[in-house]
Amino acid sequence: MSRIVLRELTKSFGALPVVAPLSLDIESGSFVSLLGPSGCGKTTLVRVIAGLEPATAGRVTVDDLAPRVARANKRVAMVPQQPGLLPWRSVRANSRLLLDVNRRANPADTTDTLDLLREVGLGDFLDAFPHELSGGMQQRVALVRALALRAPLLVMDEPFAALDEITRTEMRTLLNRLVEGRGVTVLFVTHSIGEAVALSDRVLVSSPRPSSVVADIAIDLPRPRSAYVEDDPRFVELCSQVRHALHAGMQP
Amino acid sequence: MIKRLLAPVLGFTAFLALWEAFVRVFEVRKFILRPPSTAMRHLWNFRDDFLAAASITSGHAALGLVIGLTVSLLLGAALSANRFAEWAAQPVLTLVQVVPWVAYVSSVVLWLDGGNKPVLFMVALGCTPAFVFATIDGMRGADPATIELLASVDAGRWEVLRRVRLPSAAPALFTASRFNIGFSLAIAFYVEGSNFSNEGIGSIGRRAASQASSADALWAAVFAMAILGFLGLMALSLLERTVLRWHVSQRSQPG
Repeated sequence: MSRIVLRELTKSFGALPVVAPLSLDIESGSFVSLLGPSGCGKTTLVRVIAGLEPATAGRVTVDDLAPRVARANKRVAMVPQQPGLLPWRSVRANSRLLLDVNRRANPADTTDTLDLLREVGLGDFLDAFPHELSGGMQQRVALVRALALRAPLLVMDEPFAALDEITRTEMRTLLNRLVEGRGVTVLFVTHSIGEAVALSDRVLVSSPRPSSVVADIAIDLPRPRSAYVEDDPRFVELCSQVRHALHAGMQP
Repeated sequence: MIKRLLAPVLGFTAFLALWEAFVRVFEVRKFILRPPSTAMRHLWNFRDDFLAAASITSGHAALGLVIGLTVSLLLGAALSANRFAEWAAQPVLTLVQVVPWVAYVSSVVLWLDGGNKPVLFMVALGCTPAFVFATIDGMRGADPATIELLASVDAGRWEVLRRVRLPSAAPALFTASRFNIGFSLAIAFYVEGSNFSNEGIGSIGRRAASQASSADALWAAVFAMAILGFLGLMALSLLERTVLRWHVSQRSQPG
């Protein structure tokens, strides 16, 4: 489990401020979505938290570790927008990619990714190559690849953005099922209101650049969440609340 | 499928038939062009000599290619990691590519004291520019999403190179190999003709070219080189089909 702390964090590219001074606490084991318009700096913020980009000022810690250290210890597992599978590796080999590099930082009890692949419904595609899979299946491999690390923090950057609506809904249900009970902290970047509400314990609404959190909305839908969570009147109410916050944040 | 196999055979047979007819109908002088039938007959009559020479020549071309490829992978990996070094190396590589190697090959032969060494050196040198450019382009073309992903778990440079960048360069390297196979055979043939030894198809060709009476031997040497080139490309295609199984170029296409 992982606790993320941000204190007066800023990030600029040259003279361009991308993340405004931002303070934030993310509790261990919670699912937090960062929702905002395109180009508002969400990706930059998660890259700073994942240790891929240094902060310009302020402080970030992941489990009391500097992001750079957390990254070196493989304590952050990423699921990017594009699955980024290696076309010459089979599904099974792709799912092991992150375990195959920087091995000394692997958890002591690495397991085969086989069970995870079966769990996400890819049991019949272990030897298939990425080009033989649909977009949703490819993203499921990417999900297994990240979960296989058993990292306490899962960072997902618009992972379902390139998928069709039916597949997206299916992936939401799958993701809920996978993270519930695993105790993993999830930081999920999205620009879909429904996706944020269906998945999260908490939705952080971001303003346009420079990014700052304009609303912090608790999602009190019960868990485990079923595929029909979106039919719940409370879901509709929460979506509306998030939508208003998003629009309010976009006013100059 | 049968059509697919039959078409190239038919095309090639038609080409040989036209050639044969052209030489006979227009009575082309002997040392300018021989009909394919006499060249092939000569090749068959002296098959033992040609077989021995072919093993030397194909060895020169193959070993030179492997040396060139190895040097190019090391050089390309280093250059793809550093723009400045790449810019610095570009004119030299271009020079190797555009300066006609036949112009300085006799100096190389003298320098390396004849025999196998100048042949291998020239083949390796000749293959290097295309291989290096392919390596750089292929490595740079690696999927940035995957590179970033590996960075997120602090993968080492060598791991990224081996697991992502190098395999990403494989398709470009195969394309370069297609070109370099013909090129390496041409270089091997030429240098064998001037390396003070009597080995290889190149030296048969050289001896034949110096006397008008051996036009058949010269054209037999041309045929032998064509066969080697053809076999080389076939071997490459087979290798490509296994190594690049995953690549879009190797998937069956409709139609």
